[in-house]
Amino acid sequence: MVWEGDRGASGGAEDDLPIFNAENLQSNVKSIYYSRTFLSIIGGVIAGIWGFTGFTGFIFYFLVMAAASFGLATQAKFSVCTYFDSWNRIFLDGIFGGLMSFVLFWTFAYDIVHIF
Amino acid sequence: MRVGFMAGILGGILLAHAGYATIQYRGMLKIVEEEFSRPPMNVVVELLLGLAFCIWAALAAPAKFRSIHPDSEENRIVSLPTNLDFMIFNHRGKVFPCNAEYKLKK
Repeated sequence: MVWEGDRGASGGAEDDLPIFNAENLQSNVKSIYYSRTFLSIIGGVIAGIWGFTGFTGFIFYFLVMAAASFGLATQAKFSVCTYFDSWNRIFLDGIFGGLMSFVLFWTFAYDIVHIF
Repeated sequence: MRVGFMAGILGGILLAHAGYATIQYRGMLKIVEEEFSRPPMNVVVELLLGLAFCIWAALAAPAKFRSIHPDSEENRIVSLPTNLDFMIFNHRGKVFPCNAEYKLKK
């Protein structure tokens, strides 16, 4: 088991790092990453089939990501300190990585449905 | 997790069907020489339904979140013997008389 915590021998308050189980944190973060990547791909396919062009597609992507963030926050029962070390993990991590996958599948689906 | 996978597959099938329907709709528009503005309503409904199923799958299929508090119920250290700091070997210390009053020599 890997624990991260304060390094002082007596655990003094001045160098008190929050103690958490890093293995579980990593597994939680991986789980969020998989969810976001999958939803980016699905969002891209939907945007391509629907025929979005330009900004509308990106707005659709951010809407899907917002829905995913809300769903993840619900799954974490809105108590972020039990499962993660900060709110940013739920709301911001993986959004810009997913953007690349979204654009890839968006152009892919758009090409298949509307051009070829 | 099984339900999550099924929901994801169902969402994928709905999206594939919606894509196929849109391709046919475009073919029909080419025949009547109209512009494509948006897919027909039933395809839009199908896309949104597929999105809903896939969001459900994305949230349900990965492993449940595990608590990161070291003192929560599910993180209790039950694997003490396998922790490197606490390994117990079969050694001859057990023949020493156990005397709790031994003190460190100063």
